[in-house]
Amino acid sequence: MKKLLLTALLSTLSGASAATLVFGGNGEPVSLESGNITDGISILVQRQIYDTLVDFKNGTTDLMPGLATKWTPNANNTSWTFTLRKGVRFHDGTPFNADAVVFNLGRWWDKAHPYGFRDQGRTFEIMGELLGGYKGDATAVIKNIVKVNDSTVRVDLNKPSSVLPNVLAAGYFGIASPTAIKKEGAKYGTPASKPIGTGPFIFQSWRTGDRVTLLPNKVYWGEKAKVDQLVIRSIKDASQRLNELKAGTIDFANDLTPDSLKSVQADKNLVAVKRPSFNVGFVALNNRNQYLKNDKVRQAISMAINKKEIVDAFWNGLGVSNASFLPPVMSWANSPKVPADYKFDPQAAKRMLAEAGYPNGFTIDLWYMPVSRPYFPTPKPIAEAIAADLSAIGIKVNLKTQDWAKYLEERNKEPGFDMYMIGWTGDYGDPDNFYGAYYGSNASDDINWNPANVQTLLEQGRAAATQAAKAKVYQQLHEITYNANYRIPMVHSNPLAAARTYVKGWIPSPLGSEAFNTISITGKK
Amino acid sequence: MGSYLIRRLLRTLLVMLGISLVVFVFVRSIPGDPAVAMLGERATPEAAAALREQLGLNKPWFFNPANPLDAQYPKYMGALLQGDLGSGLKSNIPVWDDLRARFPATAELSIAALLFALLIGMPAGVLAALRRNSVWDNLATTISLVGVSMPVFWLGLLLSYFFAVKLGWLPPSGRLGTDYDIQPITGFYILDALLRGQTAAAWDALRHLILPAIALGSIPLAIIARITRSSMLDVLGQDYVRTARAKGLAFRSVTMKHALRNALLPVVTVIGLQAGALLGGAVLTETIFSWPGIGSWVYEAISQRDYPIIQGGVIFAALVVSLANLIVDLSYAALDPRIQYS
Repeated sequence: MKKLLLTALLSTLSGASAATLVFGGNGEPVSLESGNITDGISILVQRQIYDTLVDFKNGTTDLMPGLATKWTPNANNTSWTFTLRKGVRFHDGTPFNADAVVFNLGRWWDKAHPYGFRDQGRTFEIMGELLGGYKGDATAVIKNIVKVNDSTVRVDLNKPSSVLPNVLAAGYFGIASPTAIKKEGAKYGTPASKPIGTGPFIFQSWRTGDRVTLLPNKVYWGEKAKVDQLVIRSIKDASQRLNELKAGTIDFANDLTPDSLKSVQADKNLVAVKRPSFNVGFVALNNRNQYLKNDKVRQAISMAINKKEIVDAFWNGLGVSNASFLPPVMSWANSPKVPADYKFDPQAAKRMLAEAGYPNGFTIDLWYMPVSRPYFPTPKPIAEAIAADLSAIGIKVNLKTQDWAKYLEERNKEPGFDMYMIGWTGDYGDPDNFYGAYYGSNASDDINWNPANVQTLLEQGRAAATQAAKAKVYQQLHEITYNANYRIPMVHSNPLAAARTYVKGWIPSPLGSEAFNTISITGKK
Repeated sequence: MGSYLIRRLLRTLLVMLGISLVVFVFVRSIPGDPAVAMLGERATPEAAAALREQLGLNKPWFFNPANPLDAQYPKYMGALLQGDLGSGLKSNIPVWDDLRARFPATAELSIAALLFALLIGMPAGVLAALRRNSVWDNLATTISLVGVSMPVFWLGLLLSYFFAVKLGWLPPSGRLGTDYDIQPITGFYILDALLRGQTAAAWDALRHLILPAIALGSIPLAIIARITRSSMLDVLGQDYVRTARAKGLAFRSVTMKHALRNALLPVVTVIGLQAGALLGGAVLTETIFSWPGIGSWVYEAISQRDYPIIQGGVIFAALVVSLANLIVDLSYAALDPRIQYS
């Protein structure tokens, strides 16, 4: 019995003395295998364990060295050479070098890679999506991945791309230890395995459905972690994350609802943290609809919606209205020739509708999503507000919704939805990641509008070597899409996060996840 | 008795096979396909089609004329009969691994909820019956009405806010504080912590269990209180109770020994039925309290259309409910000697 008590006492003491940083995640990671997963919480946990070749400067979408210290294109952007950091080792002792990079890129890109485990359900679909396809595909951006020497890797492309380093900087593409993947086989990335990267934290354990525990990497090549232990808990419910923050059982958390801002501000133990905006919530208008085909009708709709009022009402100051399709950090790619957005003017909208031949308006469906997303936290009341604005100019709106999976599927099937709400959160700081996703040749077919000049400009944008050249291309795209007006940008939201006051040095990335090695805690009880 | 048991177990097996077929067809009939759900906003028709192909979801359900064995159901059943429930479509985690890790959490919570419901509900029902039409009776009836009508998720959030945030007595959610770690033996945290001599961790696990158990137990509590009350009233009016009283037996002995034991039969039936209801209630309770059990996991899988997880979860839940009902049936015989199985 004495021994029991002593053990208990010791376990209490050891628990209390270690500086443990606890994050409230909005769920459990799906997998800790990089390249094969796209959900936010998996990426966030991976971000602690793995490094990417190229990284983003804290709190921005600007590039900085990661595992590669330098990346240089050839003259026409059809080949990129990455110079790798020397002396870095994976958590299991495996040296990081060109072989490791070729192995990682290879298994994502090559469908026949022996360690890709595609026959066992691996898909690596994000690689195909951001880089046009896989090895041998006609649309694939990457042609070949070559080891030049131990610390140099060259990636040859099928078509010019200036965004390859940006893509590889996205949180999906953490470089993992080849030794670990070969050893663990197809179970790599599940709770039964040990994910191994070069990142600031080392994987310790994954309690299914509950938490992932990480320890600091004492020999990290970059800024070393300042806590003794990092625990990422899975707390699915947003109001429960707030409860946990208030009770002090977690130290910081993401993805709180905008309406909890007041409650956070009223708590002297908490600090509200606004994540920089890197998303767009918009209303898509479908060209297959007889009314929406008409340019003037679309303009009338744009002018009739009071975006500022809606954003003020439903985002609690955590959003920007009157903006283009691109989030504010990329405003350099907006054209000075057109306004960011159509001005709210119900009178003009009414006149426009009459000119279009519908002085008495018409009836149309507006679909709103059944789930809360960062860009539309409360879709239903927002849809009701849009409907009210449209009814003021005579357009009667039927509000509709359905299950999320069905919603995403139906929008892409003919005839699709007349008008529907959707949005996008970016992966890396290039306009192509926004325009390409919704206007590109592989984009969803929700609006039935796909002119050739837009495709040409998107290609030129991807090939453009300098930011000035890029800006020129995307400004034209901005003008074309503004005038066509098939997607009405409603908001760029700042997802709400919060931390206990003793959490210092947290610099949230606009991209949604960042490494927690910059965080220190002082005075936590 | 032995042959009865064997017959019941065989019947359970048949039920399981039937359920596997029903759930297979059912999950594939829910509109919306897994590939689209996984890709989210990124789901273009091409990307969804490619993913569907890779996951084998483009294959026919039951029969592939080109290759009879290359259809989804024969493959699934072939694996199932070898004890393989498949792996989560996206996570690649074997469904059985997840079940094994999560079931003890759900079981621990359900047992605690049932204990809470029994320990409060039965005495309340007995008291209400003995003091019929008194203040106690009215109170018990009102509380049980409120208990049945209150949405579990709302009660859960309310409990968490009041007892964890406002009063700071108990943790708001989760199964164990981050200061502790318990190496699993049985998967039941409190038990494992005690077995490993971590009394502080056991205490912490118990503290985490209280609020979700109350939330999950509220409806069974209300039902048990009501059934106990009406069953007690029924029994108290019987001749043998009157006889026992007339014989001059003590009040306590009459109510506890003679009346309560006989009044328990319907209560036990309800407990059996509640085993299924508890699994259902666990979906909400586990989501609200971040409880790493089966309920929240299957719930998530349904929204993601993760077929293998939904199938595995449903089959497993059906097995648990069948076995719970078997135990209930067997305990009838223990409670009432007139009931015999042959």
